[in-house]
Amino acid sequence: MPPVVKPARDLRLDFFRGLSLWFIFIDHVPSNTIGWITIRNFGFSDAAEIFVFISGYTASFVYGRVMAERGFVVGAARILKRVWQLYVAFVFLSVFYIAEIAYVASNFDNPLFAEEMIVLHFLQRPEIALLEVLRLRFLLPNVDVLPIYIVLMLAFPLMLWLLLKSPYFALAVSLAIYIGAKAMDLNFRLYPVDREWFFNPLAWQLLFVIGGWCAVGRAEWLSKLLRSNAVAALCVVYLVFALWLATSWLFPAVAQRLPSWIFIFPLDKTGLSPWRLSHFLVLALLVVRLVPPEAGFLRSAWSKPLILCGQHSLEVFCLGVFLSFTAYFVLVEVSARVLMQITVSLTGILLMVALAWLMKWYNDMDRRARQPAT
Amino acid sequence: MRAFAALAATLALGAAANAAVPERCMVPHALVEPHALLPRVSHAVKREQKLDIVVLSGAPSQVGLGDGPRSYPWFLEKELRERLPNTQIRVVVRAAPRRSAIELIPTLPQILAEEKPTLVIWQSGTVEAYRGIDADGYGRKLQVGVGLLLEGGTDVLLVNMQYSPRTDAMVDAAAYTEVMRAVGQARDVPFFNRYRVMREWSETGAFDLAALHIGRTEYEEIHRCIGALMAEFLVRAATLNANASR
Repeated sequence: MPPVVKPARDLRLDFFRGLSLWFIFIDHVPSNTIGWITIRNFGFSDAAEIFVFISGYTASFVYGRVMAERGFVVGAARILKRVWQLYVAFVFLSVFYIAEIAYVASNFDNPLFAEEMIVLHFLQRPEIALLEVLRLRFLLPNVDVLPIYIVLMLAFPLMLWLLLKSPYFALAVSLAIYIGAKAMDLNFRLYPVDREWFFNPLAWQLLFVIGGWCAVGRAEWLSKLLRSNAVAALCVVYLVFALWLATSWLFPAVAQRLPSWIFIFPLDKTGLSPWRLSHFLVLALLVVRLVPPEAGFLRSAWSKPLILCGQHSLEVFCLGVFLSFTAYFVLVEVSARVLMQITVSLTGILLMVALAWLMKWYNDMDRRARQPAT
Repeated sequence: MRAFAALAATLALGAAANAAVPERCMVPHALVEPHALLPRVSHAVKREQKLDIVVLSGAPSQVGLGDGPRSYPWFLEKELRERLPNTQIRVVVRAAPRRSAIELIPTLPQILAEEKPTLVIWQSGTVEAYRGIDADGYGRKLQVGVGLLLEGGTDVLLVNMQYSPRTDAMVDAAAYTEVMRAVGQARDVPFFNRYRVMREWSETGAFDLAALHIGRTEYEEIHRCIGALMAEFLVRAATLNANASR
């Protein structure tokens, strides 16, 4: 069996997961002008890829050790406990969201948006809507990363077992599911009618498993790949190509001269299009090469807030979703001006950091309380 | 100074002053800058002094079908007549309640045969986004539809969904807008970003789009602005000088 884990926690994981949480929050505040700074505007992939990849990596890292040392049952039990926390968080956020939407719906009578109101039709049968929330068939936008995380983690005990037994076989299974889902156009269904999950778990599991594989696989050829200058150069070329395509609409003079086959719609987020996947992997490869685990800035005071957020990702993610509704509410009810958008975005990030710090405080306290006893 | 400038403009362009976009509707120039041309519109106006437009939409209330207040196609016609006084202008609305762009494609040849338009203004995205139809598939179908229209001998102008702050959190408007922009680029047809224009109004406070209730006057005011900006956009995309055809 390959060596399972390195003992020290890789701060890069926390740093970039924290960053993805900030980006997800900023992108989730509807019509937020600040959103242009986030990575989705500079290439094919966005913060969701970072989040899913790192979640796969850390899940594999943390539970892989447990499963290797204490067996399948204990490892699986730990994972399922996490699934339960995610599920409770998802139900809580959905209820809050429905309450907010119901308020809008019951007071809204603006002929300008008659067609847009079809989105509220589910409120005619609230009992069904609530049941569908519990069945994970009623997903509101912004909450949609949570349910995919739930499904991926639910299937993870088996996948982790496979990853520990035979990393390459696990990767092959995952790839087969991805290709199968694409070929047969499979996705999870949603209520109300003819809708599908925004993040197709059958597609996105590949990135999660790739993350997990990186944590346990530790393949020799991967390190060689990481060190190769030729590979790095190719990666840079690909990133520049993606940047150029992503921003070409900003320069109509350039865009008009492009051949039409180049408009490849690198946009299929639901099915995690190969363009997005490859863009993320290339980005990750370069980041791993450029930022060594012992990089000085990871220990600087400036990185602390990001790392803290990354270390308490579930709580911070949920708060982020909650805050994005609240920010939206403020923008709609108070003012939608750009200054207000900046204010709510910064306030939200501050609150996320504050929560992460509070969670750390609780954890430290628990640890201290436990130490005298043991 | 301002009066002098207005006088100069009046002298230079004749009736142009009353064909300007109302101040309240104003948005940064870049938001309403066409990135493609309308050659057939240009030809029809310059050679035949005639312009037949069909507005195609899956959202009837947005294009003023029924006996509600007047909507942007009505104002577009009026604004175009002011800008192109010697041209015979007709704007017809073809709307199919809650039908997505995909479902409209089979009806396109019939519409072309019946109306023989020079320009089809194709408004879509609302039904798709709010029903959660996959943006990628929508883009491919839209591209097919645009191709059909172009082969049928008309120009095409794409218009995206409205910006509705109250429901914006529930849809991924950006995805559908990006798809439409890409279709516009791929087919070399102009794209009028109505969503972005309305968001601009919301951000600058020009209109309170989050209001729970609005009266007929405000509704028509918003649609008049859309119509006026669209007329400006169209005139520029067809490389016409407003009032130059006199």
